[in-house]
Amino acid sequence: MSLAVPAVLLVLWEICSRHAIVSPRYFPPPTTVGWVLVDGFAAGDLGTQSLVTLTRLGFAFATAAVPGVLLGLLMGMARPVRDAVEPYIAFIFPVPKITLLPFLTIILGVGEPAFVLTGATSAFFQIVISTLGGVQTMDPRLLEVGRNYGARGARLFWKVILPAALPAIFTGLRLGLGLALVALVAVEFIAAKSGLGHLVYRHWQMLSTPEMYAAFAIVGALGLLLTRGLRAVQARVLTWQEEIGRL
Amino acid sequence: MRAMSHWLREHWIAVGSPIVLFIAWEWASATGLLREAFFPRPSTIVIHLRHLAADGTLWDHAAMTLVRIGWAFALAAVLGVGIGLAMGLWRQLGEGLDPVFAVIYPIPSILFLPLVSFLVPPGEIALVVTTAVTSFFLIAFTTTHGVRQIDRLVVEAAVHYGARGWRLFATVLLPGALPFIFIGLRLGLGFALIVVVAVEIVSTSRGLGALLWLSWQILKVEDMYATFFVIALLGAVLSYGLAALRTRLLPWVQDVAERAG
Repeated sequence: MSLAVPAVLLVLWEICSRHAIVSPRYFPPPTTVGWVLVDGFAAGDLGTQSLVTLTRLGFAFATAAVPGVLLGLLMGMARPVRDAVEPYIAFIFPVPKITLLPFLTIILGVGEPAFVLTGATSAFFQIVISTLGGVQTMDPRLLEVGRNYGARGARLFWKVILPAALPAIFTGLRLGLGLALVALVAVEFIAAKSGLGHLVYRHWQMLSTPEMYAAFAIVGALGLLLTRGLRAVQARVLTWQEEIGRL
Repeated sequence: MRAMSHWLREHWIAVGSPIVLFIAWEWASATGLLREAFFPRPSTIVIHLRHLAADGTLWDHAAMTLVRIGWAFALAAVLGVGIGLAMGLWRQLGEGLDPVFAVIYPIPSILFLPLVSFLVPPGEIALVVTTAVTSFFLIAFTTTHGVRQIDRLVVEAAVHYGARGWRLFATVLLPGALPFIFIGLRLGLGFALIVVVAVEIVSTSRGLGALLWLSWQILKVEDMYATFFVIALLGAVLSYGLAALRTRLLPWVQDVAERAG
C-alpha cells in the first residue's frame, strides 16, 4: 500500500517518456535507467565510484566522530571549556561547510585530505552540538542520586553522565553521518574528479541522462539506507530511551 | 551598567576567548609562525573587507544571494506549509507521499540542479528552484508532523463543541501545528543559505558563493576570508535571528528543536 504512489509515479513517467510526452532525452524511461544501473554495477564503474564515495564518507565520519564526541562531553562537563569554545561553534555551525573547501585546498592542496575534511567538519559541528545538548539536558536528579551514592570522577562519568547523554550522542552521530554525505557529494559535484557526485556532474555535462539518473538513484538509496538504517539501529540499541530519532 | 558588569563577569571567558584568538593569530601571522599566504593577519582581512564594501562589490554579491534566498524560501514556505498541512490532514495523501519524500529528502540538493535545469529555464529560475528543494521537504516534513502530533482529545473536544471545517482548521489544527511549522521554517531558511552558496559556486558568477570561489581561483586569500566572514555573519543572523523572532511572536511555545537537542 505504502509503495503504491511511488510505483504509480514511476509507471506514469515510463509511459510519458516512451510516448515522448516528456522529452526522453532529458527524462529517460525508468526501465532504461534501471538497465544502466544493472550494467553499471556489473561491468561499468558505478560500483567503483560508489566505493570511492563510501570510503571518503568513512574517513570523514571517523575523523569527525571521536573529537566531536570528546569535545561535546568536555564542553558539557567543564564550564570554562564551554565558554571558551561555544562562540566558535555557534559562529561556524550555520555556515555552509562547502565554503571551507577553498580554504582547505589552499592549505592542503586539491586532493583527498581537503575533500574528506570538508565532509568531516560538516559532521563534527553537529556531533559536538548534539553531545553537548545531551549532557546539558540530562536530569540533574540523576547527578544528585549518583553523587549521593558516592559516585565521583570517572565513576560518575561512566555510570551516570555517559549513559544519560548516549541517546543524544547517537542522534548527533546519525545526523552527522547524513550531513557528511551531503557535504561530500557536493564537494564531488563541485571539485572532485571521482565519486557519485562527480558522476552526476559529468553525465549532466555530457547529457548522458540515463547514467546521470542512475548515479542520482544510488545517492538517494545511500541516503535512505543511512538515515533509516541508523534510526532502526538506534531504536534497537537504546531501547530504554523514548523520544529518540525525532527531528 | 551594573547589569552589564555582572553579565561580563559571568561570560568573560566567552568574550575573551575570541579576542585572545585574534591577537594570537595576528601575532603568529606577523612573525611568520603561520604562513601569511594561507593565514593572512586579521587586520589585513579587515582592510580587504572594507575595500570590498567600499567599492560596492560586496553589496552586489550579498544582495544577489539574499534575493535568491528570499525567493527560494518563499517558494519553499508556501508549497511546504501547504502540502505539509494537506499531508497531515488527509491520512491517505500523507501515507502515499511519505515514501516518495523519504527517498528524495536525503539526496543532497545540489544534485537537483541538473534535473531542475531540464524542467525550468536554466539560469536564475533553476538556481532558485534548486535552492528551494531541501527547504521545501524540511518544511513539509515538520508541518505534517506538527499536524499529526496534535492531541486527539483536543480535536475531539473541538468537534463536540461544533467546530467543523474551516473553523476547526483555523482555531485548533493550525495553532496546534504552528510551533512545528515555525521550526520547519527556521531550519528551511538555514538550509536555503547552505544550498544557495553551493549552487552559486557551481553555476553562476554572482553571489557570495561565486565571490568566494572566484577569490579562490585567483588566490586572493584575503578576499576569501572576508567573504567567508560575511557568509558566516549571514548564517548567524538567519538562524539566531529567526529563533529570537519566534520567542517574540510565539512566546508560549517552547522550541521543540531546542528541547530535543
